[in-house]
Amino acid sequence: MRNGFATRSAAARGLALCDVCGLVAPVKAGRCPRCDSRLHLRLRDSLQRTWALTIAATILYFPANLLPVLRVNSVTGDYANTILGGVIQFWQHGDYPVAIIIFTASVMIPVLKIFSIVALCFAARSGHRPRRMTKLYRVTEFIGRWSMVDVFVVAILVAVVQLGSAMSIHPGAAALSFAGVVVLTMLAAMSFDPRLIWDAAAQQRTKQS
Amino acid sequence: MSSRREARGSGNTIRQLDNLLLYDQIRLLPLDLLCVSRRRGLTVPFVHPFATTHQLACPDCDILLELASLEIGEKAICPRCLATLQMHQRNALHRTAAFALAAAVLFLVANCFPFLTLRAGFRQSQMHLWQSAVSLEEDGSPYLAGAVSLFIELAPALLIGGLLYLVLPLLWDRRAPGAITICRAVVWARRWNMVEVFLLGVFVSLLKLGKLASLTVGISFWAFMALIFCLTAALASIHPRELWARLETAK
Repeated sequence: MRNGFATRSAAARGLALCDVCGLVAPVKAGRCPRCDSRLHLRLRDSLQRTWALTIAATILYFPANLLPVLRVNSVTGDYANTILGGVIQFWQHGDYPVAIIIFTASVMIPVLKIFSIVALCFAARSGHRPRRMTKLYRVTEFIGRWSMVDVFVVAILVAVVQLGSAMSIHPGAAALSFAGVVVLTMLAAMSFDPRLIWDAAAQQRTKQS
Repeated sequence: MSSRREARGSGNTIRQLDNLLLYDQIRLLPLDLLCVSRRRGLTVPFVHPFATTHQLACPDCDILLELASLEIGEKAICPRCLATLQMHQRNALHRTAAFALAAAVLFLVANCFPFLTLRAGFRQSQMHLWQSAVSLEEDGSPYLAGAVSLFIELAPALLIGGLLYLVLPLLWDRRAPGAITICRAVVWARRWNMVEVFLLGVFVSLLKLGKLASLTVGISFWAFMALIFCLTAALASIHPRELWARLETAK
């Protein structure tokens, strides 16, 4: 156990993995000998950045769900739809698969993602169950982009439904904040360094023994 | 070398492997390859990029490992956190180049032809792929338009172009000028490329509008579906680490 890094880790030997090209080089060199990017043992201010981005995403999550995501102007009347409203509408019309897809992608995934990032941040301090937490990290990183579905649906509807005075669709205020939630959670997952979990786990083990 | 074979053959659990020496800590699994053709028509002069053992650290848990050269179809997995460390696929460069070329053509087709056509009564409106971003801009949401065009136009274009720029010269064992910058751009574009998410969005909107009006999909839609397949296959054919190793050994 040296400098708070796990014993068999590259960092404990002063070796850094280049973020860009994956070469293992001594961190003292400063820059990667292969691709000249800056070397560091762990992502800089990883937890601090992850917390900040997650909190920002949580704040944006409220307008994203409360404001209308779509505004429809048609001859039969104007109306606006929130994300949850759209899901309920689909459900009432009997379109269960679509309702489930939108509910999963737009409501469940962002919430679960925020929760799992918070769990990861705690795990990076406590070092509990490192293998499971690393898996959670990978799932979180993979799944994040799929919440963008609703934003793309808005973009497609706005582009395709251009029927002049008969019917037109416009993006609502929630569309942008929702895109913001997705981008911020993606950035939060990217700035999280899973190696911190293993460092904490090693620290925990030495404390116990 | 022999210890490596034993590690695979004896069916040790990962936990047991964890206690072995560093050299034995790689678990090897055969890869399910996309294409199992054994014909070797077009083989480039193959300089094995991993001819000697080399040091590597797991990107997810930072364990330091020593990895011997992998044989075709083998995959190195981190013994501690099960991350894929490296793969060696058959004809990795050729496959990446072929799929990336196909993706480039499909990307052009997807952008040049109508994507969706909506008919309601006498009225008709047609949508091109790029219009999904442009009409958002016209509607007064420039940020949203920027995000959408980044995710479905810029990032895939950069990804396909960058891959071709890197891989095509590598077929002749040459390194294109500025390869490092392009490689970084490819890594970045890979993160923000969301073509497959867009496709799910298309399906949802088809179902959403299906009852309202008659919607027909154009050539561009089919090209877009094929593009997703080719782009995924191109990225899966080569492991970034192998790409870097080849860029390093190329002239």
